Amino acid sequence: MGKQQEAAAKKTGPSRRDSDSPRIGVYVCHCGLNIDGSLDCEEVARYASSLGGVVLAKDSLYTCSDSGQEVIKNDIREQGLNRVVVASCTPRLHEPTFRAACAEAGLNPYLFEMANIREHCSWVHLHDRAAATEKAKDLVKMAVERVKLLEPQVETEVPILRKALVVGGGVAGIQSALDLADSGYQVYLVEKYASIGGRMAQIDKTFPTMDCSICILAPKMSEVGRHPNIELMTLSEVESVEGYIGSFQVRVRKRPRYVKSECTYCGDCTKDCPQHLPNEFDCGLSTRKAVYSPFAQAVPATYLIDMNSCLNKHGIIACHNCYLACRHKCIDFSQKEELLDLEVGTIIVCTGSDVYDPTPLTELGYRRFQNVITSLEFERLINAGGPTKGHLIRPSDKQRPRSVAFLQCIGSRSKRSNPFCSNICCMNTIKDALLIREHWPDTEIYVFYMDIRAFGKGFEDLHQRARREGVIFIRGIPGEIIEDRLTGNLKVIGENTLLSKLYQYEMDLVILSVGIEPSKDSAVVKRLLSLPSMSDGFFMEAHPKLRPVDTPVGGIFLAGCAEGPKDIKDSVTQASAAASRANILMSKGKVTVEAITSRINPERCTGCGLCAKVCPYGAIQIDKETRIATVVEAACAGCGTCSPECNFGAISMRHYSDRQILAQIDALAEKDAGRKVLAFCCNWCSYAGADFAGVSRIQYPTELRIVRTMCSGRVDPRFIEHAFRKGIAAVLVSGCHIGDCHYINANQQTEKRVQKLWKKMTRLGVDTERLRLAWISAAEGLKFSQEVAAMKAITDRVTEEEIRRGVEAFSRKEKPS
Amino acid sequence: MKKAVLFNEELLYECYQCGRCTGSCPAAIVVEGFNPRNLLLKCLRLGVDSAISDESLWCCTTCGVCEDRCPQMIDVVDLLVMIMNEAARKGHIPEKVRLSTEMVIKTGRVVLMSKRIEQIREKLGLKPLPPVPVAEVEGILEETGLTGLIG
Repeated sequence: MGKQQEAAAKKTGPSRRDSDSPRIGVYVCHCGLNIDGSLDCEEVARYASSLGGVVLAKDSLYTCSDSGQEVIKNDIREQGLNRVVVASCTPRLHEPTFRAACAEAGLNPYLFEMANIREHCSWVHLHDRAAATEKAKDLVKMAVERVKLLEPQVETEVPILRKALVVGGGVAGIQSALDLADSGYQVYLVEKYASIGGRMAQIDKTFPTMDCSICILAPKMSEVGRHPNIELMTLSEVESVEGYIGSFQVRVRKRPRYVKSECTYCGDCTKDCPQHLPNEFDCGLSTRKAVYSPFAQAVPATYLIDMNSCLNKHGIIACHNCYLACRHKCIDFSQKEELLDLEVGTIIVCTGSDVYDPTPLTELGYRRFQNVITSLEFERLINAGGPTKGHLIRPSDKQRPRSVAFLQCIGSRSKRSNPFCSNICCMNTIKDALLIREHWPDTEIYVFYMDIRAFGKGFEDLHQRARREGVIFIRGIPGEIIEDRLTGNLKVIGENTLLSKLYQYEMDLVILSVGIEPSKDSAVVKRLLSLPSMSDGFFMEAHPKLRPVDTPVGGIFLAGCAEGPKDIKDSVTQASAAASRANILMSKGKVTVEAITSRINPERCTGCGLCAKVCPYGAIQIDKETRIATVVEAACAGCGTCSPECNFGAISMRHYSDRQILAQIDALAEKDAGRKVLAFCCNWCSYAGADFAGVSRIQYPTELRIVRTMCSGRVDPRFIEHAFRKGIAAVLVSGCHIGDCHYINANQQTEKRVQKLWKKMTRLGVDTERLRLAWISAAEGLKFSQEVAAMKAITDRVTEEEIRRGVEAFSRKEKPS
Repeated sequence: MKKAVLFNEELLYECYQCGRCTGSCPAAIVVEGFNPRNLLLKCLRLGVDSAISDESLWCCTTCGVCEDRCPQMIDVVDLLVMIMNEAARKGHIPEKVRLSTEMVIKTGRVVLMSKRIEQIREKLGLKPLPPVPVAEVEGILEETGLTGLIG
């Protein structure tokens, strides 16, 4: 450890002051009125200047501005600061900015600390200026005490493999793969189904230009098929993912096609197949054989056998009609499932969307009434490649419908289905209405809506065109559809809300404009890649405005409907953006990772191996001869789960050492400890959840003080005991949901440790409710505030006597650390 | 007297005014002007008092179809019952409702028993109806405050 630090000190020049007695500069940011509006920044700065080690404390309007940063840099140079604290927004936003400023002025960036007085203070305590100011003082003090103990660190560089994995072969996946392949990288495109193309391949025309969907998609699909840099894997699914940014080890399970790649796509095999099955591509409106091609333009252009419905599925050849029919002898029943191991540097997730199934909305009669269909089924019916060759007929009597009703917001904007707006259905309906109008101008078309959202370029023009061409828009979604059993016609009953009058229309065909939802497989991908998602199931971006295609996990990007409902243009835009983001990483070829890894003191290590057992990455190895543990730094992700496991104090975490965390606890316990709540929040989920509560301005009690760790696995029970010893009323340990841990499964250790501590508290006669464990995701700001409110209720209940009992119980048991 | 919270008014904000409630209402089909969606909008924008004088309000049979189909799961029936309660408190009780309430207070039944009804029951082989404990019913109505409201 010593050597590397020395090297670091030499490298950064003037920072040899690092180890001298602390000369701390504190900068309190007003953030306009964002902070100063609900707490007194000047007062906080005055308070900071009274703290030991602080040589200067300033408040400024915008510390993150160029001039704000200049002030810090000048003070480092001129006042000889060797530690810097900025009290402003969340470190998840501006820590890199200020670290860079420190580094420019010659201070090691790891000697900088932030106090989050915006998301965790001013925004969540808008109406109690005095308490918010007190809390901000506490947060600054905690940061000052921590910064005194920080040590300079040197970041390590990780190489990035120049290969990418694209998961999902819809239009977003296709675009991402092509962009990356054209930039010269090797791309693996993994698609679950037999052909790429996704939803766009099923659609007839696209809005607002009315282009033929497959005509513009097919050339891109075949380009993917023949691109030398793209390895296309269809019928394949990602089985497991290990590793980290720059070097992911991916295992792909590839199901057999039972047709060799030499297939000429002649179609002879399919003629004699005795099995008839619903054609999924046509939404079940037509049939296919067991040996089939998904659709005419499929890529790869080879037939396949659906072994689940083939007569030979039990491994006994009961029928070989296809084998006999194939002149090129491409049928191969002996093909086996394969497991392929890939190594890639970046991953783009394009898992797309599913359409909402309106069966549960029984009043609409979908699946009960033949002439009630969904918008996707309609796309197949009006598509020239579809079951009716593009002739619009209704299912009951195969006649052309003379009147058609579109029902909007089916499965969207509703607590009964999905609460969000599906983005595409309004324009899709307008486009469909115009298509019917174009082919059969005498058709009466009614659109029942609650809002028409035509927000995009050219959308409103199309909307107006539909109105002018006689499509009738009625505000008010029908409450009920009744079928006339004899004619199959549908009576649509509802209220025209603009006229406050009830209507009844007899319609030949009703089309439910169904919304979209995250694909069912996205839950699997979420688990495999440890990606966080929003409450609606779509993946969460690293930042909703400024990093919209990045995930919080380094090296993994999002594109298309996996991130949220969007149309084709937005999917393609995002796909190119994601490819470009991946390209930046891969063209650099390396990335620096934060210097937060664990270190083992060989003098204290006894080689017991407990740490190696809990390491989620297998990064700790025990030397067989010396019986001493060592950390493989490249593999260590820095969760810190190993450290609490060590009974000998041999493991220290860089930048999150025991001393640094205990100093924060001491600082917050100095005043009114008996009324305060200490929360340990993991950087990836619960700290971000607390930030989200702040951004959403969800108000919660002011008693909370947050200590950030990278993972909840870092939370040593000794920290919690220390807090109780210091008389803190209640402690919250929070982390990612089980299964969502950013460090694979480190939070399972957290759970075990907290349970163990609860048992110990019971034994010592301490109220176990004073320690609470909560799993809070980055999207659960509301849940975070509810947890804080629950903690506040506990602190209100905890008596002085109870606190004293905790202090005594844990003082007796104190262990040398 | 204690006022029970019959409807969570926060729910009013979640209404999209899609019209499914009125569109599926069996009462709205037969009663011109009865419109649960419109009553909800009035409560949200103008306050409950703006809805209490509308007599069509009392056409709600509390069948619950509106609630069943509401995409936002708003308790429309609870809302209407809340408005009816408020209307009654402020003296907006339609004459027909007042008469039948009086009937309940006096006889314990909404529909008065007559010789003719008794004869029909006998013809159909139904047992004669048991007598209603009028005093008890009256006590309950007194206690709940209904007697005072229509008095």
